[in-house]
Amino acid sequence: MRNMTLYVHLENGSPVHRMDPLTKMFYVFTSVVISYMLPTHLLVSIVLAVSILMLIIGKVFRSILPIIGVSFVLLASILVVQGFFHPDRATVLWDIGPFTLYKEGFSIAFLILLRVLNMVCAFGVLILTTKPDELVEALVQKGLSHRFGYVLLSVLQIIPQMMALTGKIMDAQRARGLEMEGSLWVRVKSFIPLLGPVVLRSLAETRERSIALEVRGFNSTGKRTRLHELPQYPYGTVAKTLLTSLLLFVIVWRIWL
Amino acid sequence: MKMVRTGLWSFRFSTAALVLIPAAVGINYIGKLFVELLKLPLWVDSIGTVLSSMLAGPLIGALVGIVNNVIYGFTTSPVSFVYAITSAVIGLVTGIMAYKGWISNIGKALVLGFVVGLIAATVSTPLNISFWEGTTGNVWGDALFAWMTAQGNPLWLASFADSVVVDVPDKMVTVLISFLIFRNLPKKVLTMYDTKQEIERL
Amino acid sequence: MSLLHVEQLKYRYPNRSVLALDEISFTVDKGEFIGIAGRNTAGKTTLCYALCGLVPHFFKGAYGGRVLLDGDEILASSLSRITSKVGFVFDNPFSQLSGAKFTVADEIAFGLENLGLPREVMHERIQESLHMLGIEHLRRKNPFDLSGGQMQRLAIASIIAMQPEILVLDEPTSQLDPQGAEEVFTIVEKLTQDGMTIVMAEKKMEKLAAYSDRILLLHDGKLIQDGEPAVVFSREDLMEMGVEPPIYTTVAKKYGLRKESSPFPVTLEELLAFEMDEPLDGLFPLQEKLETSHIHIEELSFSYSDGQKVLDSITLDLSSEPIAIVGQNGAGKTTLVKLMKALLIPSDGRIVIDETDTIDTTAAKLAKKVGLIFQNPDDQIFKKSILDEVMFGPLNMGITKAEAKSLALQQLKAVGLREKAEENPYDVSLAERKLIGVASILAMDPDIIIFDEPTMGQDYEGKLRLQEIIAGLHAKGKLVICILHDMDFVSEVFGRTIVVGQGKVLFDGTTKAAFSQLDIVQQAQIELPHRYQVARAIQQKREFAPRTS
Repeated sequence: MRNMTLYVHLENGSPVHRMDPLTKMFYVFTSVVISYMLPTHLLVSIVLAVSILMLIIGKVFRSILPIIGVSFVLLASILVVQGFFHPDRATVLWDIGPFTLYKEGFSIAFLILLRVLNMVCAFGVLILTTKPDELVEALVQKGLSHRFGYVLLSVLQIIPQMMALTGKIMDAQRARGLEMEGSLWVRVKSFIPLLGPVVLRSLAETRERSIALEVRGFNSTGKRTRLHELPQYPYGTVAKTLLTSLLLFVIVWRIWL
Repeated sequence: MKMVRTGLWSFRFSTAALVLIPAAVGINYIGKLFVELLKLPLWVDSIGTVLSSMLAGPLIGALVGIVNNVIYGFTTSPVSFVYAITSAVIGLVTGIMAYKGWISNIGKALVLGFVVGLIAATVSTPLNISFWEGTTGNVWGDALFAWMTAQGNPLWLASFADSVVVDVPDKMVTVLISFLIFRNLPKKVLTMYDTKQEIERL
Repeated sequence: MSLLHVEQLKYRYPNRSVLALDEISFTVDKGEFIGIAGRNTAGKTTLCYALCGLVPHFFKGAYGGRVLLDGDEILASSLSRITSKVGFVFDNPFSQLSGAKFTVADEIAFGLENLGLPREVMHERIQESLHMLGIEHLRRKNPFDLSGGQMQRLAIASIIAMQPEILVLDEPTSQLDPQGAEEVFTIVEKLTQDGMTIVMAEKKMEKLAAYSDRILLLHDGKLIQDGEPAVVFSREDLMEMGVEPPIYTTVAKKYGLRKESSPFPVTLEELLAFEMDEPLDGLFPLQEKLETSHIHIEELSFSYSDGQKVLDSITLDLSSEPIAIVGQNGAGKTTLVKLMKALLIPSDGRIVIDETDTIDTTAAKLAKKVGLIFQNPDDQIFKKSILDEVMFGPLNMGITKAEAKSLALQQLKAVGLREKAEENPYDVSLAERKLIGVASILAMDPDIIIFDEPTMGQDYEGKLRLQEIIAGLHAKGKLVICILHDMDFVSEVFGRTIVVGQGKVLFDGTTKAAFSQLDIVQQAQIELPHRYQVARAIQQKREFAPRTS
């Protein structure tokens, strides 16, 4: 199970990869907020198209597909439930057996669909083109507590290690006669013998890890330094100004105009 | 020596409490992994959150909840960012109620699970309505939602019902499992998060 | 003024009634190497904690007496101030990693960043410590992808880079295989030569004897003696305190080799200064052959799903006497025993246990036939009490609670944990948890018992107990198979040894013959038993002697 990593980031040196992680984070925020404020299919489609364009420039478009796949049930459910059962039902669009698809419901469903897709794609821009440690490093240098930064990075390192344990635990319990296949009750009963060792082990390990951190000066109160200089990111100010004005414009337009 | 506030709302987290966060998020992941492996008809993806609240209080529990969803959003499904608030509230409520004694026996733990489920559903409902007009992506819950809206019930009620049928049983099972594991924890682990310890002189 | 000054130190962990340290006093001067010896419950680890401030600052509890570091009292100082002067490395290589750095170089930087060092200084120190620990080639690797020995060297590098005045090492090799342990000891030796002040707790007494200026002998939290290695290891009552002296001292004691009233030799050089002959008799005992279950392995091959071939056409017949399986890490030993337990299915060939082919059964169904005791007990422990943990297996076989309890208690008595049956498994030591693992399989009363590395982390008494358990199982007509790195244990307990290397059986025969064939020993990269090394050294000296005289 070695060499397993949790994060999805792919390195290829595209212009999107070279952008400031914080700018990308701000992009995600702006894109999602705007998509929920804009009222028409066309405008939301444009926002989505921008996110997709970013993915294409970042050469990671293909990697977004499995991530969309994870949200497939949610997307399908929105379409079915709103399309067939939305309370505003007037115009029949389509008859499928005993069910009727209505135009009003479908229209709403389609709009939500675009927004959710944009949410996934916009986040995709961030998570597929940014190294998590680079993002956390940038956040810490902008004032996020180093202790919290530690927590975020440590999750990414530790979960793969914990996952590597599961095989060993299953072997150890099967060697003691634990059955994991069969009726629902048999499977339910085997849950705690499987999860229990992971919990106990990882909690007991937190004690040793705390010691390891203490002896490396984790709690020292003096000023800290960082080994890596933050790289100079191009177009940071321009991008941020652009995004801010866009956001302000949409807010003003939707609320006062 | 620095003053350290102790008790339920202690803000200056000990190293042990901080290191607990990644472990607890890991437990959430592994719990989910085993559920899928054993093909159990449940979600049960917040055992670590609940356990950490029982051990280290509501604030750590809430942090575990947030970190869990942020990391899950980062690695598997961005949609999970939306529910970071729900996860935080699960940690918060469990931590407070556990501190007030609602994990002293199995009956109380079930009540705790019920309350956590109900509150989780309450927090999720406005999120579900504003982000996707009320559905949750759970087949059974959404079927109920569809039926209720078709019957002419208000959107918020249908959406709440959608969340409740999913969250309440799920959180009751989660809290029950966490309680069973919590009961078996060694003193060595329990004392680590006890912020009230002082050095005694011999 | 000495660097460390310990005065009447007393300590008790929270919620405990006994003192872990009791009236301990000693001093450490600059450049000294101090060894700490004692059995598993002696208080070695607690003393290490006290030297680097974790006791009492991290653990709290009850504290008495004082420890002065460079004249500053540890109790009044802050933990981060103390740890900037005292470096601490402990046994578990894995949990010493910060867990938040993605390369070896960044891992070393973790402590330096916390100290607030300028960037250039950090780069310099990282380079220095990488070089010193011989891990330069690993600098871009993920720390979690390293081997145990490499991880432990990284842990030392991370501490050394912080330039402490004293280095405290708590059994730095007890969770490593012999190769990893040797890597770490080489480093310790180098640091000692460079004049580093070191305090090291350790079970390998040969190493303590070779490095230490003085040894602190601990027993039940008390300091029994503070003296030169030769003096401490010459004590008559050493074994009663659960400490086995270096093999060289044991041989010397056996033949009464010492100059008048001076202490016995503690290193090989000192021993060889004496005129003597160490016969090999009794070194490799032959076990009585008895009627047992039988494992027949035929043309067995195994590859993992990624195509990596682990076992290559192995044929073996296992029965009648305890059998040791030895070989380097990655030789395929653990895979082989997992196949015997039907946890894996052969890619080719077959394994027949008495009449059952492992393909036709499952691990759970084999519970009564084959018991497999894994290396790390923490992979299985999940119950509230040791007793419940041991009862889990028997209950899975469908017997009554009362029967399971009596079986469990019987086995807990055998491993020496009867008195602790009601305690939480995680409130006892790792070495004791390993014995819980043993009891939990033996309680199922299988006909064949397979141990994977049972001696790792055990002290002298623990090893003795395992030896008794194996002898007892053999006498009852059980087949015992044991994967081992500890060649001393192999040579003292097993009559038959199988050497595995690169997925093949390199040797199968008597233990004596296995170690006599040096080409096989070399090919499999295993160590010779210490006793055997001594005997060979003496032999060589005798062959060499006539020519010089």
